[in-house]
Amino acid sequence: MDSTDLQIIICGSAGDGTIAAGDILKRAMARAGYKVIAFDLYPAEIRGFGKCVARVRVTTEQVYSLKRRSDVLVSLDDSHAIEHVGEVRDFGAVIFENAPIARLGEGRHMSAHVKPGQIPYGLAQREVCERATSSSRSRNIVVLGFLAQMYGLPVAAFHEIIADKFKTKAAVVGESNIRAFDAGFEAAGAYFKLDDVTLGPPSHVAEGADTVMMTGNGAVVQGCLDAGIGTFFGYPITPATTIMERLAVEMPKAGARLLQTEDEISAIAATIGAGYAGSRAATATSGPGLALMVEMLGLGVMAEVPCVIFVSQRGGPSTGMPTKTEQSDLNLAVFGGAGDAQRIVLAPTNVEGCYRCAGKAFELAEKFQTPVVILLDLYLSNRYETVVFSKDNIFEPNCSKGVKTQDPGQAYQRFQLTDDFVSPRAVPGEAGGMHTVTGLEHNELGRPSDSAEMHTRMSAKRHRKLEGALAHPDLNICKRFGDEGPVDVGILAWGSTFGESLEAMMAAQAEGIRCSAMKVVMLSPLPVDPIAGFLADCKEVLVPELNYEGQLANLVSGQLGRPLSRLNRVTGAPMQVEEILEQVRALAKGRAAA
Amino acid sequence: MAKGTHHVIIGIGIAGNRAAEILRERDPDCRITMITMSRLPFYNRYDLPKVFRGVRDWREILVDPPAHYDKSHITLRRDSRVTNVDGQRGTLTFAHNEEIGFDRVVVCTGGSGYLPEDLTDYRHLMNGFATFESAMTVYELLPEGGRVVMLGGDMIGLDLARTLLETGYRVTLVVNDYTFWPHRVAADQRGKYLEALERLGIEVHAGAKLESVKEGPKGMPARCLVFEDGSEVFGDVVMPFCGLVPSVEFMLSSGVDIERGLLVNPQLRTTNERIWAAGDVCQIWSAEENAYRFYYGWNNVRAMGEVAARNMTGEDEPFVSIGDEELYLDKGGHIASPFWQHD
Ligand SMILES: Cc1cc2nc3c(=O)[nH]c(=O)nc-3n(C[C@H](O)[C@H](O)[C@H](O)COP(=O)(O)OP(=O)(O)OC[C@H]3O[C@@H](n4cnc5c(N)ncnc54)[C@H](O)[C@@H]3O)c2cc1C
Repeated sequence: MDSTDLQIIICGSAGDGTIAAGDILKRAMARAGYKVIAFDLYPAEIRGFGKCVARVRVTTEQVYSLKRRSDVLVSLDDSHAIEHVGEVRDFGAVIFENAPIARLGEGRHMSAHVKPGQIPYGLAQREVCERATSSSRSRNIVVLGFLAQMYGLPVAAFHEIIADKFKTKAAVVGESNIRAFDAGFEAAGAYFKLDDVTLGPPSHVAEGADTVMMTGNGAVVQGCLDAGIGTFFGYPITPATTIMERLAVEMPKAGARLLQTEDEISAIAATIGAGYAGSRAATATSGPGLALMVEMLGLGVMAEVPCVIFVSQRGGPSTGMPTKTEQSDLNLAVFGGAGDAQRIVLAPTNVEGCYRCAGKAFELAEKFQTPVVILLDLYLSNRYETVVFSKDNIFEPNCSKGVKTQDPGQAYQRFQLTDDFVSPRAVPGEAGGMHTVTGLEHNELGRPSDSAEMHTRMSAKRHRKLEGALAHPDLNICKRFGDEGPVDVGILAWGSTFGESLEAMMAAQAEGIRCSAMKVVMLSPLPVDPIAGFLADCKEVLVPELNYEGQLANLVSGQLGRPLSRLNRVTGAPMQVEEILEQVRALAKGRAAA
Repeated sequence: MAKGTHHVIIGIGIAGNRAAEILRERDPDCRITMITMSRLPFYNRYDLPKVFRGVRDWREILVDPPAHYDKSHITLRRDSRVTNVDGQRGTLTFAHNEEIGFDRVVVCTGGSGYLPEDLTDYRHLMNGFATFESAMTVYELLPEGGRVVMLGGDMIGLDLARTLLETGYRVTLVVNDYTFWPHRVAADQRGKYLEALERLGIEVHAGAKLESVKEGPKGMPARCLVFEDGSEVFGDVVMPFCGLVPSVEFMLSSGVDIERGLLVNPQLRTTNERIWAAGDVCQIWSAEENAYRFYYGWNNVRAMGEVAARNMTGEDEPFVSIGDEELYLDKGGHIASPFWQHD
């Protein structure tokens, strides 16, 4: 059997090197040609406290989510890992420290919790590490060596990635970690493999494409850079901070500018200012930051200023659950603010989508002269996937509808009413492009006007110009997967939950249920026609979302008038494939019974 | 966690497993913890030779499915070695530094293969056969039609030999004092049993004393045994089968009496009233023989597990040995033993 689907959880305490081990594991497997999806959970607490979990799924076929059941659990700290032992499937493996220094009370050791169907591998992680490196620091690397021997993971790739990881430190650090890896590898030679976990050869990578592994936030950064971002203003907030951190390193290299402002309001204000000045400008925040930004966002809509706002959602409301994932800012992103402030909102569903949406957001913002919100969530922002990028830049450098040479006798109409509702745009300093801009309702010249007719026409202009966004090239605003034509159950999903939905759909099909799934990437304006077509084909429609009420379900049923079944979870964790599948089964069965 | 008395069973072999069944039956509310050094749940060791007949997945020799333990509310602790039992405090300690409490404990740790002093230098050149892992290792080391050299040849080894011969391998038996263990065969009887082994196809090497075991030269089988008379025997794998030594080291500071095994009264209680023992690990007082003695074989070991568990839960019954203990030749002239009979 050549196909591989191996999921490993590494769990430890902050400071144990859990996330670092997961990082090396996923990078090594990606380097060796496997597809990887990974997601880390780490606490907000300081070193020495709190649990860290790295989950890495390694496959040969494309998959879209993490599995509910892992094949292997590695414990670097039983006090945290014990609660994850139930996630390991029968005949999978549990690897733990079998020579702890401190005396343990009853039940505090992993051996008390490994299920009878799982295989326990006690390993003297600390001792093995100390023998190899004179310190126990690299226990996390010892267990990687152990895994490599047990499951035939690619040793050369691990050596390369470990060397790479520590290349900024003194040479002895890298060397000692390679020794730790080799010691773990050798130690595993004394173990007889009793679990049924296997690894097949890696999949083939197409030529002319680059396979890289990155997080959703990493892909956003790459998308911004490839699209030629000129300016970024931001204020740190989990889980969006890494976007700014990475851009702060990369933008200066490209001659672009980044400023950390004093708060989110300044960040959006400055972003709108830069967008107005003609720069490709962006900011990044989370739900609480967006809540502060919406007033200025209204200005962006009214003044028709291109700008991009990346929003990575977390548990809310208010400060909520900063390190947990949720999809509860759809309403805020689509509707937030005063007045009829229509804007473009995109929600990518995977890491590759983060890249594409990030770059396309600048094109859309420029083309339709409006703020564009990109909605991510913590799970998507932080999860790693192997992504195959085309070697060519796929983004248009300039999509602005420029001002034609002006008739000297005619005043420039910044908000001219045109057939496609998009006005020619001049940037400050452009000859003949002098105009007024305000947050007040205005006439075509930009001068304040509160006439009923003007407000009606301008409102229509601001709304209707966005219809063109539905046909923007090279952007899947929504897409249907699975069975064509009439189906028993359709799954309508958005954002990170779509991966699980797609896997649930495939599982349902395998069970003989006629099933389709549609991802909705453009949440505003909503692609009503294709969604209506999809709904018409589905006897039942399920909308799984990580929010309490069903914000997408409300949006879609509000616009299309069709009642939808909802599956809502606010656990702070990603949706489970099995949960969706169960609902699909129930709906299919209900239909069959009816 | 179930309430009630906490019964701990160290060892999940035949004795330990039978004890668990009886404890659960007689005390549905008690807490049962079973401990083993093995990574696998209880499997039938008598089935280990089957790896040569194509059974290479340990799941096929499990006695109970993994779900059995949860269903019976038994906490199964594998890959866990007990290093000390404190009968006074009612605690035991693991090699992994955890301490747990118990109300009563039954020690069912069996025995491990005995290696006579003169063979210990060659340990690294020999393979055991006590676990699934070691059985698989031997299987992997043996080339098709390869030869196993057995040193001693106790009844465990001879059982394996029968399977090896039937599956196309070859066996050489180097006879010593432990051949036919645990049966005590009188000197004048040995010849007929050795002949029976030869009839089976085993090459019997008797007489000359073993001088050394070494790696075979290039192009020859992996092992070479040199005898005092200068003769050499080659084999792909060398396996000592010289009986068992009871696994009692971890009990040395427990305060209970130990001779070779844990000394128990006929009710299988040790000299500490919280500690019981059953199976190959214990030496049971025999009033008849006025001595402590071992009883071997599936039926005896199982009965011991049962008796210990019954007595731990209020009975006061002596262990009564089950079955014959003599080696014999069956009607066809084949070697046969009650030791080989099991459910
Ligand atoms: C391959 C093979 C074939 C055999 N064939 C036969 C046969 O044909 N007929 C026959 O009568 N007998 C046979 N035997 C012997 C038979 O298996 C034993 O007599 C019987 O298993 C003894 O049972 P027991 O319950 O006393 O202990 P065992 O089955 O030996 O079990 C001992 C248990 O104790 C555990 N243990 C030991 N020390 C510790 C410690 N310190 N901490 C925690 N756990 C510990 C072990 O992990 C194991 O679970 C064979 C043995 C083997 C290995």
